[in-house]
Amino acid sequence: MNTVRVPSPLRDYTSGAGKISASGATVAEILASIEREHQGMRFRMIDEQDRIRPHIRIFINQREVQSLDEPVAPRDEIHLICALSGG
Amino acid sequence: MTLSATERERYSRHLLLPEIGEAGQERLKAARVLVIGAGGLGSPASLYLAAAGIGTLGIVDHDRVDLSNLQRQLLFDTASVGAGKAVAAQARLRALNNEIRVVAHELELCAANALDLLQQYDCIIDGSDRLTTRYLVNDACVLLKRPLVSAAIHRFEGQAMTYIPGQGPCYRCLFPESSAGVAPNCAEAGVLGVLPGVLGALQATEAMKVLLGIGAPLVGRLMTFDALAMEWREFRFRRRSDCAVCGDAPRIATPEDSAASCATHAPARWPRVNAAELQQLLVGAGSGPQAAPTIVDVREVHEFQAGHLDGSVNIPLGELARRISELPAQAAAVVFVCRSGRRSQTACELSAGAGVQRVADLEGGLLAWAATVDPSIRVA
Repeated sequence: MNTVRVPSPLRDYTSGAGKISASGATVAEILASIEREHQGMRFRMIDEQDRIRPHIRIFINQREVQSLDEPVAPRDEIHLICALSGG
Repeated sequence: MTLSATERERYSRHLLLPEIGEAGQERLKAARVLVIGAGGLGSPASLYLAAAGIGTLGIVDHDRVDLSNLQRQLLFDTASVGAGKAVAAQARLRALNNEIRVVAHELELCAANALDLLQQYDCIIDGSDRLTTRYLVNDACVLLKRPLVSAAIHRFEGQAMTYIPGQGPCYRCLFPESSAGVAPNCAEAGVLGVLPGVLGALQATEAMKVLLGIGAPLVGRLMTFDALAMEWREFRFRRRSDCAVCGDAPRIATPEDSAASCATHAPARWPRVNAAELQQLLVGAGSGPQAAPTIVDVREVHEFQAGHLDGSVNIPLGELARRISELPAQAAAVVFVCRSGRRSQTACELSAGAGVQRVADLEGGLLAWAATVDPSIRVA
């Protein structure tokens, strides 16, 4: 299982949790795992063409994800980052 | 620009620091910093920069002080309610430090004025409350080659980064563009009052480092803060060669107003009904042949749960494209509602583009409904 950090704009999908678990060997599999438990959340991050939405960034540990095919190791932490607008 | 005896005393704790000293303090005195937004972030940022002796401090804000601002916007007090923010901030900052020049820019930043305004300053602090303004400010800073210290907040979470021309990525390299309904502002989502204090103070720190040329600014580093977990994290990101403004072949040569910017002030692009008209539609539908409109509330789930119109369905704006088939394509009208009438206009555009025939939205949102029809509704 991998730990996934959820930004506050997406926490409506996780009952307010900032940290959830997911499993998968690639970013795409992790996202599918998230979607199974938190329906609708993937669409907020990934568009119809399987591209990461431009206001979302995904990091594996501290490394920025460029492609959903990138591998994820068992202990990697996934960070979902969302552009915030409040000031 | 030499320091007076009074200034030497005022800034004596800075003068003791070898990284600043008299030469550094003179640099701060000669510096011009523009703070965009006299809000949660702009308050601590401008207070600390004024105290630090930034010679010219500009404050941009076209809004007025509201009672609900005082929970976090420390530039203002109860007596400021109703006053113009830029002018009230100017008075407060002048009272804090009468050695500096404070300029109030009582205007709404837009493409037409951004370059003229920003080029008068050496460093820009973005504390705005709107994503579209963030792109406008970023683009203007890149085009003018001005350093930008950007921060944003949401509920218990904050993020910050610094752009220095020629040294690293810009805001668009991190988030290339905005998407509809993705980043609710403080009024829509709520915010812990002290949170902007943390991030705004960080912005002031970064601005001083940039002006003094000391330390390691947050260039190519996104700093995130989670106040609930009390965790700081740092994420590295790079300049994108395909960045629309700082990339190898930039497409943005001049700042542009986003179609969605200033939406609450701009003329509506889709049919609107006011609260009284919507009430009539809902009451009238039961007694006549006209089918009742489908009321779609496009706020986030937690906002909907706090209070909503009877019979309305909740489809958060960010889910609307995926759930468009849930809307009636031809039958009765669809009326979108949100908090203030901003997201609902975007929902009209999105659904009309997807073929939904009769769309409209509630002008002024549920805030207007609460003000004119039903004050008992809780608008989160």
